[in-house]
Amino acid sequence: MRYTLLTAVSILLMSCLHSYGQELFVFTEPASNMPARAIGVRLTNEGILNGGSMNRTVPELMLSFNKKLMTHVQGFFSDMDGKYRLEGGSVYAKYRFLSIDGSQQHLRLAAYGRLSTSKRPTYSEDINLEGDNSGAQAGLVLTQLLHKLALSGNLAYSKAFVNEDRQLTGMPQPDQLISYSLASGYLLLPVVYKNYNQPNFNVYFEVLGRTNPASGKSYLDFAPAIQTIINSRTRIDLGYRFQVAGDIPGRYNKNMYVIRAEFNFFNVLK
Amino acid sequence: MKTLKYFIIISAMFISGSAFAQKITKAEVQVNGLTCSMCSKATETSLQTLGFIDSVTPDLNRNVFVLSFKADQQVDIDQIRDKVEDAGFSIGTLSATMTFKNTLINENGIAQADGKVYQFVNTKNTTLDGPVTAQVIDKDFISSSAFKKKAAVLKSPVYLTGKGMIEGKEQRVYHLSI
Repeated sequence: MRYTLLTAVSILLMSCLHSYGQELFVFTEPASNMPARAIGVRLTNEGILNGGSMNRTVPELMLSFNKKLMTHVQGFFSDMDGKYRLEGGSVYAKYRFLSIDGSQQHLRLAAYGRLSTSKRPTYSEDINLEGDNSGAQAGLVLTQLLHKLALSGNLAYSKAFVNEDRQLTGMPQPDQLISYSLASGYLLLPVVYKNYNQPNFNVYFEVLGRTNPASGKSYLDFAPAIQTIINSRTRIDLGYRFQVAGDIPGRYNKNMYVIRAEFNFFNVLK
Repeated sequence: MKTLKYFIIISAMFISGSAFAQKITKAEVQVNGLTCSMCSKATETSLQTLGFIDSVTPDLNRNVFVLSFKADQQVDIDQIRDKVEDAGFSIGTLSATMTFKNTLINENGIAQADGKVYQFVNTKNTTLDGPVTAQVIDKDFISSSAFKKKAAVLKSPVYLTGKGMIEGKEQRVYHLSI
């Protein structure tokens, strides 16, 4: 059984480019929101295997004010610059402005924005607003659910805030970046639902790209992930992203694994 | 036969312990836009915040929720729609088991009971007495494509808004198909 499962996962991950999965993507957010008045709590650990091994911990609080508007607040802690410390924070808001539902399918379109701060020194054209840079981002995301398969496309523009005190002399500096992604997810188990307590098992494959429009430098990552959902409330993710094309010198998140736990509390906000 | 009918109606009027001339006892809601059990759980939790709901029984494979209601409370089906939408989804179909007590459907298909106005789209000139299973076909109680088709057939401004002038004041008009 275990080998059958592993084989199935491998086949799904390899057959990817026309992706699979439910839409609780590991490396990107879907256009769908949490239920109104829900709270979610996440704890993410990112392990960056880039020469040495570095770790970032991201506690995250998610709030949905109504069915259309939700926000995430994140803190970033890492040992990237020696001692493990608080390096910054980020606020993300998403507004779902289109929702078309059918039987076991939906299409959603949302706009989002992010504001981030980070104490880290800057030494790359790459912009990572989840820990490495201070800056702002605006984007659009389109998500389509087709029964057990979910597909999602993302397009965003990021602008780094200039802080000369944090610039490493002689190194490239962040300015602007276009991010784009295609994500897919597939609900593998259960094949037939019996109750809420059955664990769900989802597999994901995401393609993540970034381009600096000024320099023309780009990179493209593949990011497979697996996920289990326990008691229809608790989500555990395990994912890995790696570069397959292009390069931006000194880029962040190259060869990074992600492990995450998320807990959802429905109908708690008044 | 007619005597028997009147006898039943009059008996029902005397026997009736409930204060309501019309009562929704059960509803079956098929929810669109979801497949995963986390989404179903969110929908169920949202529905359970309604005070008049007694129990919610899900069919996770068909995304159907069977709702039973508290005997002493009036059911507001618009709130059911709002709660499903709050969870991030929408109603595909909603069929309600409604118990009427000697309620007349007039020549225009309109019935009034307990201050609520029902527009029946496929019956008129009859009296309802006893349980009836009716599908609510208003906007956001069926898929948007189904609503557009119905609107084209019915050609009714009241159907488009779910509101109409009844006895001189604007009221919610529930469109039902039985």
